[in-house]
Parts: sequence; structure tokens; C-alpha cells
Amino acid sequence: MSDQLFAGLKVIDCASFIAAPLAATILSDFGADVIKIEPPGEGDGYRSLHSRAGQPQVGMDFAWMHGARNKRGVVLDLKSPQGIEVLYRMVEKADVFITNLPLPVRRRMKLSYDDLIARNPRLIYASFTAYGEKGEEADKTGFDSTAYWARSGLMDQVRPDSSSPPARAVAGMGDLPSAMTLYAAITTALYRRQITGKGGLVQSSLLANGLWANAFLVQAGLLGGTIPPRLPRAQSQSATSNMYRTRDDRWFNLAMVNDVKQFPILAKTLGRPELATDPRFATSDGRRTNVGALMAILDELFAQHDLADLRRMMDAAGLTFGFVGTIDEARTDRQMRDAGAIVPMADGGYETVSSPFQVEGASKTTPRGAPSRGQHTDEVLAEYGYSDADIAAMRAARAIG
Amino acid sequence: MADTTADSLFAGLKVIDCASFIAAPAAATIFSDFGADVIKIEPPEEGDLYRTLHVRPGSPKANGDYAWIQDNRNKRGLALDLKSERGHEVLCRLVEKADVFITNMPFPVRRKLRTSYEDLAHLNPRLVYASFTAYGETGPESEKTGFDSTAYWARSGLMDMVRPDGESAPARSTPGMGDHPSAAALFGAIMTGLWRRERTGKGGMVGSSLIANGLWSNSYFVQAALMKAQFPPRPPRSHVLNPLSNSYRCKDGRWFILSMVNEARQYAPFMHAIGLTDLIEKYAVQADRQKNSPELIAIYDALFATKPLDEWRKILDDAGITFGIVNTLDDLLTDEQARHAGVIVPFADGSGETVNSPFVIDGETKRAPGPAPSIGQHTDAILREHGYSDADIATLRAAKAVG
Repeated sequence: MSDQLFAGLKVIDCASFIAAPLAATILSDFGADVIKIEPPGEGDGYRSLHSRAGQPQVGMDFAWMHGARNKRGVVLDLKSPQGIEVLYRMVEKADVFITNLPLPVRRRMKLSYDDLIARNPRLIYASFTAYGEKGEEADKTGFDSTAYWARSGLMDQVRPDSSSPPARAVAGMGDLPSAMTLYAAITTALYRRQITGKGGLVQSSLLANGLWANAFLVQAGLLGGTIPPRLPRAQSQSATSNMYRTRDDRWFNLAMVNDVKQFPILAKTLGRPELATDPRFATSDGRRTNVGALMAILDELFAQHDLADLRRMMDAAGLTFGFVGTIDEARTDRQMRDAGAIVPMADGGYETVSSPFQVEGASKTTPRGAPSRGQHTDEVLAEYGYSDADIAAMRAARAIG
Repeated sequence: MADTTADSLFAGLKVIDCASFIAAPAAATIFSDFGADVIKIEPPEEGDLYRTLHVRPGSPKANGDYAWIQDNRNKRGLALDLKSERGHEVLCRLVEKADVFITNMPFPVRRKLRTSYEDLAHLNPRLVYASFTAYGETGPESEKTGFDSTAYWARSGLMDMVRPDGESAPARSTPGMGDHPSAAALFGAIMTGLWRRERTGKGGMVGSSLIANGLWSNSYFVQAALMKAQFPPRPPRSHVLNPLSNSYRCKDGRWFILSMVNEARQYAPFMHAIGLTDLIEKYAVQADRQKNSPELIAIYDALFATKPLDEWRKILDDAGITFGIVNTLDDLLTDEQARHAGVIVPFADGSGETVNSPFVIDGETKRAPGPAPSIGQHTDAILREHGYSDADIATLRAAKAVG
């Protein structure tokens, strides 16, 4: 492991839930030593999310196992003077400090950037917030369902059509891309430190990431564009970029951006090559004008095949489409494994979702299990010079757990 | 040279954007935000097909190509025919001096155009080659093309899960909503490669894909599936188990989400505030609200349909109830917080505003966003910087190797 990219890099994950801690997870994937700080008692509130009503039931904390893999767990009461002193001692030797504590809490606990950079000028302080660090809403808390999904316009736009209710966010679907962004910000600062010798502050937020995700439409709006309503499928304006249903009642998404080139291939693949020369459908304009007629024909043709057959036919023809995957299919999807998107855990017990990029020649850690609350408190404190007696005294005072 | 300040983080860093559409080029956009010199390579004449997306059916109509403006701001445009031998030679000369090369060409195209990692790495051992694909670099589907609507949104299970309920048609993605997060991932991968280069002196290859980013975004539930979890069905909103955690529609068609976590404290004030005081007792017990959920939701539906969002917003805010508004894009045009927080920033020339890259490096001033190039706008300037004389350029242009 010592030859890994981030071997020796010390990261303090002083954050909760998903967006900020998962940036530390990515660093851990490439070999960083990540220490997860949790408060005594309940620990990170994220530990209980999986047990709420409506969540998938599996008898294990799947969310924690994914989000806290490879980390070492330390329980510290940051409200106690002894607890904060332990943290300061860790900060002196750390490379990266990650937090999503609300800004007023950081000020109160003396954990703001100014408090920590004074102790270690090489420290990279990664700050994550819901709504950014300036403006009236800077101190507000938020989750990705609100600050990323609802606020950005994504929730309003992503629906089957304008008459249907807004689409509900899937847990973490905005947090995880935000974690990737925070990781990118941290590596940018590490690059700068390599050149200048100095650490510094990096920031990201749910609001910024939500708008970045929706930037195509937001930019249209900013330039005075009007966003057309999402029409019901029956009133679609394009037959070659549309949803279709297969014989076995599966949906897929035909995404033909270069329809001049691909439409004749599709017609041939479906056994109706004459459609490409049919005067109604021979040109892009014709296909748009006669969208209803073409959809009706494609509806009928696609409904003659099961999804599995259709995938083979479309893939062989090089046509761009994507079936609407169900979560169950991730269990057996070969490409997800070949591409390294799903990887086995070190103990072989189960698999997990890898960080979404590769660096050639830099191997990722084979994922290890996530820590229980305070699992490594003693081990980590000993590394920072605390004696057994010190540790016992702090535990008696409930500064650590 | 592009307009960058000499002391910006990436001043002098040369990035070649040899990619199309959104995910890979937008990674280069982030570099440009922090001052890198980004050269956008496009085929002469037709250019990047992304230039045509904004005029397709269903796309918003605006003054200008908003999509191009957003994702190619600050870049310089070079029109180059990579299929021609001379065009290829120009690319090689550019690569010799580059720090970062970004491509999303399908592998068969890279082999044909000699733009694969092996083709370019030997020209410049310090080059960080960033490879972006739809379905990853290995496996039976690695040569397939895909867009974020397919490889990120549909494939990951997000499209299936993000619907109002299990009965409704799958929810359609908005353009680029998977590409932009993937661009941030690719940027992060490149920075990791640049950091390594600062330590070892060596470049290398980094890669990301739509499928990996889609799964990463949905990894909360994918992890549950990998551990063989049982997934509860999604009931329609008229039958969710908790009426106090549900979306409601107002008279003006606007939606809000009620997300009452502390029901014990908020239920009675909520009922009182919305004028249902006489029903407080009937549904006072949480278990009763759950049992009679469709009945109570129907009552709320009828009531919230009587006033527009603005009126309900005031009523709920005054009562201290936790709720969120489902924003429309119009709301963002006047969103003050998005501007205070630097999420929406003005263009340098005063022509409007754009969406910033989603992070800040303290002490680094991002460049005030500049315009996106037209096809080949900077061809001559870039070629001169790489040692081509005016006569050379004229010859290349006559041979249609550049445009």
C-alpha cells in the first residue's frame, strides 16, 4: 500500500452525512489515511438514515459501509476543551481537514478556517455548505433534496411531463456528485501546495453543484430563454430522441443526436429499411413534421422485441440508446464491473461502488469495511502521543469515546 | 494569448480540449475558469455537434447559443481536420507543448485518428491524458457511445427511481444534468494526475465515464442493492405513508414539499395556520395520520389548491413550518443567494450571466467569464504560437487541414 498515490496523506473527516465525508472516501480510495471524527452517543446522523421508514431493508448499514469504507473511526466530544485539544493536535499533522458543520457551529467551536490554518499553514481546509458562504442564506442547513434538487430547478424539470407531480430525489443523488467536486477542489489545492508550499481554503456547496448540474437550462434562462413545457409523451417533438417500451414492458431511451447518420441504421436494424427512404421520414425535418406517425411505427416495432434482444440488436448496430435500468440489475451488470464502477470489498463479503474515475498506474485501495463508532479512538490517539493514562482520563471525562 | 492574469493558479497551463458535447469539454471549462489556456479543437465547417443542440425540438429558445456559451467560455477555437495527415501533424505539435489533453472520442475513432494515449504519450512524457467514455475503458460495452440520458441517468437506476410513483412513466433528464457532474469528476481526475506530475515529473492517463458517475450518484441505493436489500415500492403521492412529508400543489400550479421532521411540535401549529383547527384532534395521533393517509392527503390537496404559492409560503413561514419550494428556472433568474454565493456570475463583457464551476479555491480569482469561440476563431493565432509561419498557415488552409 505504501506506493499508493496518497500514501502518507493525513485526512481528517470532521463532517456528517454524505457530500463532505464522501470526498474523504475518494481520498481513501487512493490510499490516504482518513480519520473519521464522530460525536459521542449517536455518532454521525448518517448511521441511522438506512433504518428509517421507506428505506431499503437489508439488516446492515449499507450506506455507512459505502460512505465510510477505509476510514478509521474516532469519537471526540468537540464541545469539551479536551476533545478540541485532541483535534487541534491532529490538525497540526494533517494535510486535509474536511467539514460541513454549519458556519455558526464552526465559529462557536473554534473550528473555522482561521482557527485551524494558524496551527498548520500547510493544511488544506475543505469547507462544504448547503447554500454557499456568503449571502443571507449562508448559515442555513440543507439536504440535497432541497438545496441541490429542488432549488436548482432539476426537480421541477425532471418529470414525465408538466402535468405530473415533481420527481422525488433519490437519497444522496446530489450529495455524491458534490463530494466528487469537493475532492476536485482539494486536489487542486494539493497541486497548489506542491508548487507554493502553502495550504489554504477550498469551498463547495449543494447550491453550486445543483446549478452546475442544471447549467444547460439555467444558462438558457439567464440569456432570456423560455423553457418549453415538458409535453406528455404522446405530444413529443422528436421520435428519434424518445422513450419506448419493449414487449416485456421495459422502457428505454432512444438518444439519436446524429439522426441523419443513424436513422437509416435504425430502420434497417428493425427490419424496415424502407422507412429511411419513405418521403415522410427521409429527412430530419420530415421526421420532425411527421413525428406522430413515426412514433406510432416505432412503438409497434419496438414492442415486438424483448429488451434483451433489442439490446443485442441495437448494440450490434452501434445505435445510441439506454434502457431504464432497475436497481436490481446493478447486482449482475457485467459492464459496471468490467469498467471498475463496482468493485469487491477486501473481505470478499460484498461489493461497493468505486469512486468514479481512474488514474492510470495509481491503484485504488481494495475497499475495507467502515468503522464502528470510536473503533480506532485508542489507536489514533496513541499515534498522536497520548499515553494509555491520558486516554483513560479523557474517556472518563467523556471527551472521547 | 488568452486573457489570463499571470498569477492565476493555472496561468501558463496548456489544455487541449479535443472533445465534444458536455462532459469532457466542461472539465476543460473548469481549467479555463482558473486561468488555463484552453484550446478547443473542432472539425472545420461542422464544428462540435454540441453547437446544434440548442436549436433542437424541445430545447429552450434564447438569444444566442446558451449551451455553447456556458460550456466553452474562455476557450480559444482551433478548426483542425484530424483525418488529414497535416492536421494530425498540427495536433502532435500542440501535444508536445501541452499539459493536459482531454478527449471523449470513441476508442475506434481514437485508433483511426491516432489520438489514443499510446499515440500521444511518447510525444510528451509530462502530458496528462484525460480519457472520457460512456461505459468505461474495458468490457464488452467500452466502445459504445452514450449520452448522459442513457449511460448516466437510465443505466444507473436513477431514471427508474426518480419518478413520482411506481406507476408513472420514467422521468426524463434535463440536458447535461449527468454530464456536468461527470465533468467535475474528470477535472478532479486530471488534478490528481497533475498533482502526481508535480511530485514525480511524469504525466499519465486518467479516465472517467458516464456509467461510473451515474452509479456514483446513485450509490446509496446501488450499495443497498449490492447487499441484496428489499426495496419498498414507491406509492403514488396520494398514498404516501406520511401526509406531512409530501408534495402539494397550489392554486397557481406551483408545488412545495412539506418535510415536517418534528411532527410532535409542528403538527398542531401547522393545522391551525392553514385553517384546519377543527380537524387537529381527529388526526392528532401519528399512527392515525398514517392509517388515514389518503383521506388526509385529499383534504390537504383540496385546501392547498385554493391559494397560490406566495400566500401559502407566507402562512407556512409565519408558523415556522419546515417546507421547501420546488423552484422553477424562472425563480433562479432572481435568486439572490445564488449570486451572493458566486454560483451565478456575470460575463466579463456585461452580456449576461453564467453558471460558475461549483467550487472555490480561496486566494485564487477565477477569470471573469469570457465568450466562447466560433469555429476556428483562433486558428491562426494558435498556429503561430506553435511555430507556423503565415505561409505554412495558408498552405494548411488551402489543403483544408485547418479552418
